[in-house]
Amino acid sequence: MTITIGLPSKGRMKEDSSAVLARAGFTVTAVGNDRSYRGRVEGRDDIEIAFLSASEISREIAAGTVDFGVTGEDLVREGLAEADARVEFSARLGFGHADVVVAAPEIWLDVDTMADLGDVAADFRARHGRRLTIATKYWRLTQQFFSGNHGIQLYRIVESLGATEGAPASGSADIIVDITSTGSTLVANHLKILADGVILKSEACLVRARKPEHEGDAVVAEIVERVRGVV
Amino acid sequence: MPLSNLPAFAPDLVADLERLGTERVDTPVIQPAEPFLDMAGEDLRRRIFLTESETGKSLCLRPEFTIPVCLRHIETAMGTPRRYAYLGEVFRQRREGANEFYQAGIEDLGETDVARADARAVRDAMTVLENRLPGVTLSVVLGDQSVFEAVVAACGLPAGWQKRLVHAFGNQAQLQRLMADLSSPAPAGVFGPEVERLAILGKLDDEAALIAHIDETMEATGYSTNASRSPADIARRLREKMELANTRLDARTLALLREFLALELSLAEAPAALAAFADKAGLALGEALARFERRVSALREAGADPARIAYRAAFGRPLDYYTGLVFEIAPAGSALVLAGGGRYDRLLTLLGARERIPAVGFSLWLDRIQSLTEAAA
Repeated sequence: MTITIGLPSKGRMKEDSSAVLARAGFTVTAVGNDRSYRGRVEGRDDIEIAFLSASEISREIAAGTVDFGVTGEDLVREGLAEADARVEFSARLGFGHADVVVAAPEIWLDVDTMADLGDVAADFRARHGRRLTIATKYWRLTQQFFSGNHGIQLYRIVESLGATEGAPASGSADIIVDITSTGSTLVANHLKILADGVILKSEACLVRARKPEHEGDAVVAEIVERVRGVV
Repeated sequence: MPLSNLPAFAPDLVADLERLGTERVDTPVIQPAEPFLDMAGEDLRRRIFLTESETGKSLCLRPEFTIPVCLRHIETAMGTPRRYAYLGEVFRQRREGANEFYQAGIEDLGETDVARADARAVRDAMTVLENRLPGVTLSVVLGDQSVFEAVVAACGLPAGWQKRLVHAFGNQAQLQRLMADLSSPAPAGVFGPEVERLAILGKLDDEAALIAHIDETMEATGYSTNASRSPADIARRLREKMELANTRLDARTLALLREFLALELSLAEAPAALAAFADKAGLALGEALARFERRVSALREAGADPARIAYRAAFGRPLDYYTGLVFEIAPAGSALVLAGGGRYDRLLTLLGARERIPAVGFSLWLDRIQSLTEAAA
């Protein structure tokens, strides 16, 4: 059996994942030219590399078309229902750090916790004629966090695919759920992270599709063990 | 195997609903999704079948009937009172069970005699089920959020706490968590550095100055033009929050709330038990208790024996348009709900009705009723 690893196809994430694999003894090279979407590991015919866009990786792991992938935990948990049943987070790789957070306008002096937000959401409609709106591309994480963890039901999600942090100032949403690594974009947009508003501390992970044929497979075990050994 | 999944008893059920003095309505299967998400919250999104029109309008397959029936009532500008009945398919994403199934029910809009309308809804649901399931013993559970609201108000809790508790009512885990939070001796509430700075400057005590400060900051940061919450809104709730942080739920009040929420007894005995609870606790529940008693009497008059109905004080639905009565009917000893209903006096105005329309209704799970009739046959 050939084991396929899905890696990010460009940018910083591509370099960092190749570096981790190289430290683990798997030197990744592109097949053909640098822009190729297929790669291999030097000296290993039993491992294949597929270069994919970051958002595709979680989907391909879920579908089982790749055995492993390197991608952000946020994308996996957002993309898959019941992620832990379908994939294993085999190793946390120490790069691509980003927190998924709930952020509200700084000037909401009365809002510093999710409980505050729950209070505001509860009578938002009575005061403003509509529900509290949240701009985000993280539908699933937002719903789980608001409804599941904090019992907040009464809000609406406004899909935002870019420049989410500008939504409160432009009036397209009241608050946001977004990723941040340093928080500086939030500060620049006069937003603050709620004290208990960190939904997920995400980083790049080696993620394995839970497939029955992985059971007892020496190559699968070797990849996990060697990557764990260098992170 | 029947060629249709419409239960065989559907025509009889329709006849029952008609005999109960209702007019049959139908609504399109494809509905605008907005009202459902707006009323029930985003969590519903995972549980309905959503699609989009060519123009990008969000549509869904009808997940229930109450909202479409109410919307239709508002659109057709019918007068009240009105008693609508429906029978049709609804569509929901469920982990277990079919994704499409039949529901029937009654929505009673605009009856101003609230006790009578409540009693009639419970009685009608029981009648329809008894007709379909002769020989099956039914257990009816009834709850009433307005009694909890009265208890919380009579305890003299700050307004912000009352709102939090009432909002969590019906969600046991959330309510327990909240009560534990409120009674823990640690000071509650997290305040940001800006609030602390304002406190030092003494700006928090003067509401007008605080509003002016918030307004200036909004102007300076370019946030003011689109702000949904005004400086006055923020200042008002900040004061409310400071009040919440400074008062803790004392042991006696906590014990009272727990005692109340644990009440579970026959509805026939409930008015006396609630009165005794109020007396012992020294709480004035006057009007809420009187309404509760009127409903029990109305049930008796309608021919629904309160001794056969259980009252559970903690039973409610965590949706902000349910205002009073809620009830569920299941076969005795089973958790399989056959009928669920309640009063939703806020729904029609939330959906755009110009005047307040009191409303109560229930819906029946026909697939579950059918499986019981098959089991009996």
